Amino acid sequence: MKEYILLMVSAALVNNVILARFLGLCSFMGVTTRIDTAVGMGLATTFVITVSSMADWAVATYLLEPYNLWYLRTVTFILVIAAAVQFTELTVKKVSPPLFQMLGIYLPLITTNCAVLGIAILLVEGRMTFIGATLFAFASSIGYSLVMVIFAGLRERLALADVPRLFAGPPIGFIVAGLLALAFMGFSGMSTT
Amino acid sequence: MTATEENPIDFSAPAMVEGIAHVVAVEGNLAWLEPEQTSTCGSCASSSACGAKGIGTTANRLEARRFSLENQAGLAVGERVVVGIRENALVKASLTAYAIPLATALIAGALAQWADGRDGITLAAMVGGLLLGLGLARLIASHLSARGELAPRFLRRADAAVVCHPITLNMPKAGK
Repeated sequence: MKEYILLMVSAALVNNVILARFLGLCSFMGVTTRIDTAVGMGLATTFVITVSSMADWAVATYLLEPYNLWYLRTVTFILVIAAAVQFTELTVKKVSPPLFQMLGIYLPLITTNCAVLGIAILLVEGRMTFIGATLFAFASSIGYSLVMVIFAGLRERLALADVPRLFAGPPIGFIVAGLLALAFMGFSGMSTT
Repeated sequence: MTATEENPIDFSAPAMVEGIAHVVAVEGNLAWLEPEQTSTCGSCASSSACGAKGIGTTANRLEARRFSLENQAGLAVGERVVVGIRENALVKASLTAYAIPLATALIAGALAQWADGRDGITLAAMVGGLLLGLGLARLIASHLSARGELAPRFLRRADAAVVCHPITLNMPKAGK
């Protein structure tokens, strides 16, 4: 139990997917203009990362490893992620058309989110058990969502602040992102996993 | 806090997420609307080679997101209108669609791992939990939908010069 808690804290905070591994930066800058859109994107990404990681683990364990096809893992994972995104899109559409109308805009963006592929590769290279791999993927995506929401909150406040014209917009956004990364460095040393 | 002359922003007013849509059909008291393309997808120079659009063309993806509104404003085909949903509706919808299935899948996986411990069994339990969660999400979504919490509302007609901006904060000003 303790090892799973350490694994999750490490994946969410210490080795944060955005601020420590620098994955998923396009959505970090692009979908964080408001908190509610960041929450929507964060939850959609959490769902896709967790579901696709379950499928990636199964494909790697029952197909790639026994048949010595390890060199195909990147291509295979891209295919699995695209299938997971389409599965999510079709499921949301089937489960509730009004939800699909509201949330459908985020799903295509996730297909090309490198964080999804990065986490899949990290978890199969870590040779984890199924539950360990799933918790690692879930915690990593919770870390992703947490940073998205924090950054969206900061950007909402920045929009009301009197920022010099030279720094307004993306420049001050990048400076704030750098300060946020420095703040998250404070978590390093909490866990060595 | 309500709006005053000194402080014109009324923070107690419900904030709306706004978007622009086209009226594509009118059937009796219902107007069918299609949202305008809101992301850069399909409009940038690399659109023909980009995979971010998903399956299908931009046109049929927008068609899939077609929605209806009660035509109380007398909308006509071809008009551009600003529609909005409550700010918290997006969060509520995301929690229903994604958090519930994820929670049931993780709980089922944790129980299977505790009871049996084999990877195959845990995987099967998580898939079962995911399907159960999707069924539960469907029930809750239909409940929310019946209460009208997920439906977009007609706000106003859009001028031709208004550009599509899906995330503007609508805070009504006092005396305007």
